[in-house]
Amino acid sequence: MIRWLVLAAAALVALVAAVAVGPARFPLVDVWRAVLGDGEPTTVAIVRDLRAPRALLAFCVGGSLAVTGASLQALVRNPLADPYLLGLSGGAGVGAVAAIALRLGGVWGVPIAATVGALVAIAVVYRLAVVTGSVLDTKVLLLGGVVVGAFAIAAMGAIMAVSPAPQVRNALLWILGSFSGSSWQAVVLFGAYAVLPLGALYSLSRPLDLLSLGEDPARFLGADVERLKRVLYFGASLLTAAAVSVSGIIGFVGLVVPHAVRIVWGHIHHALLPAAFVLGGTLMVVADGLARTAFAPVELPVGVVTALIGVPVFVLLVRRWQG
Amino acid sequence: MAGLIFEARGVSYRYPGAAAPAVRRVDLTVEAGELVAIVGPNGSGKTTLLNVLLGVRVPSEGDARVAGRAAAQWPKRDLARLIGVVAQREEPAFPLRARQVVLFGRYPHLGPLGAPRDVDDRAVMRALERCDALDLGDRWVATLSGGEWQRVRVARALAQEPRALVLDEPTTNLDVRHEMEVLELVAELVRVEGLAGLLVTHQVNLAARFVDRLVVLDRGAARAAGAPADVLTREVLEEVFGWPVEVGSWRGTPQFVPLRRGER
Amino acid sequence: MRWSPKAAGLIAAALLACGPGDSTGRTSGGAVDDVGRPIRLTAPPARIVSLSPATTELLFTLGAGHRVVGRTRWCQDPPAARDVPSVGDGLAPNVEAILARRPDLVAFYRSAANAAAIERLESAGVATVTLALDRLADLVRVTRLLGRVLGDSLRADSLIEGLEVALAAPATARAGQAPRVLLLAWDNPPIVIGGGSFLSEIVSLAGGHNVFDELDRPSATVSIETIAARDPDVVLVAAGTETASLATRPEWRVVRAIRERRFAVVQGSEFEHPSFRASAAVRQLARVLEGWRR
Repeated sequence: MIRWLVLAAAALVALVAAVAVGPARFPLVDVWRAVLGDGEPTTVAIVRDLRAPRALLAFCVGGSLAVTGASLQALVRNPLADPYLLGLSGGAGVGAVAAIALRLGGVWGVPIAATVGALVAIAVVYRLAVVTGSVLDTKVLLLGGVVVGAFAIAAMGAIMAVSPAPQVRNALLWILGSFSGSSWQAVVLFGAYAVLPLGALYSLSRPLDLLSLGEDPARFLGADVERLKRVLYFGASLLTAAAVSVSGIIGFVGLVVPHAVRIVWGHIHHALLPAAFVLGGTLMVVADGLARTAFAPVELPVGVVTALIGVPVFVLLVRRWQG
Repeated sequence: MAGLIFEARGVSYRYPGAAAPAVRRVDLTVEAGELVAIVGPNGSGKTTLLNVLLGVRVPSEGDARVAGRAAAQWPKRDLARLIGVVAQREEPAFPLRARQVVLFGRYPHLGPLGAPRDVDDRAVMRALERCDALDLGDRWVATLSGGEWQRVRVARALAQEPRALVLDEPTTNLDVRHEMEVLELVAELVRVEGLAGLLVTHQVNLAARFVDRLVVLDRGAARAAGAPADVLTREVLEEVFGWPVEVGSWRGTPQFVPLRRGER
Repeated sequence: MRWSPKAAGLIAAALLACGPGDSTGRTSGGAVDDVGRPIRLTAPPARIVSLSPATTELLFTLGAGHRVVGRTRWCQDPPAARDVPSVGDGLAPNVEAILARRPDLVAFYRSAANAAAIERLESAGVATVTLALDRLADLVRVTRLLGRVLGDSLRADSLIEGLEVALAAPATARAGQAPRVLLLAWDNPPIVIGGGSFLSEIVSLAGGHNVFDELDRPSATVSIETIAARDPDVVLVAAGTETASLATRPEWRVVRAIRERRFAVVQGSEFEHPSFRASAAVRQLARVLEGWRR
């Protein structure tokens, strides 16, 4: 119980801090008045229309990535799985770079193209891994993800070689991850979309426990293994694709957070998934806060911050696991 | 027949794309309170037949039923409340404690989101106790010996509160004491709890000591079926295993000894 | 005079740094480039491969267009440059394609991505010059250096003088507050032009003030929040930017100038890299900004 309270408190503090602090420095009194809709209009707009939705979106995306990572680790029965393992990031990258190279304009051009690219990668990897009828081979799934990812990197290189350099560089910055496109609109859209796959994954927490024993034991303990694998794969992939569409590709949250949670909460998904959601959200809010403020007014790609936090933490966790 | 759990009539199974069927016209029944073994050499189709009996594979010919209903048509969750299976291969991908693994046996009885109830905790305790594994409950499964791990898995199958207990090669990597302990436990559960027991093994001598009936598989077909004393003749064993043997008897149970070259 | 004191000061500093004594030198003996590497030429170069649009245009302006035998595919100015064979990209360039042009001098843009190519060309016996040409102050220094390398310092000096006069001229008769300008290069993530770019100087010379002038780099990713807090009067974008859809995005509407669609659009390659057409850029921008003067 105490660990849940600590986690909830950390999440709350992170969210409040993300609204209170930013590259534009306001006294806390002004922030509080702005939250209530009172004060100088630009301050109110910054607090209510930029910081608040940005913090919430970062929280939802971080939480979704962590839940996805934890679920995929059970699906492929490999603790090193992360949301981008299955070729999805490569597909998204090709989509984004292609959209910019082809000058598919509009403010939503890059996110939509990235999502389409991710969906294509999801479909291709799935098709590769489906053997005889509808049996999904998770080993081929892994292999397919690696192969599709490698192909995507090559395709990105080819597109970049023949496209205007600055625009493609900007596309790569977008892929590195940023919450600068956050708005209440994006929060509502992402939230409405993510509820279904998140709910599906959570409702599968018992079969996920069973799957971590192996497919045969899971089947004999009542899991509909083939259906389970399909729902897991598509739930996790669609959730990640949605995260990519609002924030680009942000690494390490989906890998490191499930592991941190496993150490404290254990490996029973009933507790693991919700804890991963809250911790992933908290970590992302903190990382985005650092990205916005550490070198203000210059903003870092949030994926750089999550990697800078995530890699040392991960090294510590692995050492602790070995010890 | 209310006590009839497994019922296979002339089942065959051919893997997609395979030239010959892996299982050919096998008949098999297992009733409550009896222990039946499927024996045979490696590759004789034992596990394939088991998968047909458990509804994992749909027979290409014949009829495989569990408690009167086509095996493949059982919803997986309902089937898991009826049959506890100790599968051949099982390797947890993440560290778990023995008690958690046994609690997984309650999952077929739980709703998708409901927490384990008192009745589930009691079933777990009872199953651990029944398998003399109470002291293993807090151990990480990775630290268990082969025999302890098998006892925990049998306890999990019991926690399912099933009507049948199925074990696929349960003693392959165990030494004499542990293989005897596991099979004594299974035989006792079948006798005392009235479960239907089905054992898949290539250890014919061991099976002969414990089971009521057995089916000897040879290249997918049942070469012989019946009580051990009727089935395990020199002729059958030499043909099936392709090696000269001598068959003796221990208190009425046939036991065979493979011969060295030139011993006959 | 409404010259930005900062820009004027920098140009003056660059002039002083080069010193008047160098202007009569006829060879490149002793000259070093912007990374401190000596330019190893014994005679003025006859075959030059230029690996940045700004350098290519500058070479043509210096009357050395006929000596340019290779350019990047991005070098489109002046129009005559398009007749020069392209060697591909300017960053991490194709060394084989460069060598095929049999150059005696290769002009690089200063970037870590070019280090390997520079080493290979130098070891193949081809002289290189690496130029950090980002600001108008750089243009003065680089013009002087190239003039010396090409053996035509007099022409370089007169060009520099002409630029100073041209830049000083239009800034005389303006009144009122200088409009605060946001130079927006990209929308997601938001990338703005900083004080390290010649564009920031052009805005100053045209009577405006870049709200990110204090950033010493050519461009930077920033938060929309920072932009909103700096509250620019006008957003300067290149022609072709989708300003209409930008103004409908909820997160961007927090910025007053974008909400009120205060966009200033400039067109032309004189806004893409520093060149002696900067005076034309200043004149165009001054006209555009006149409408946003408070």
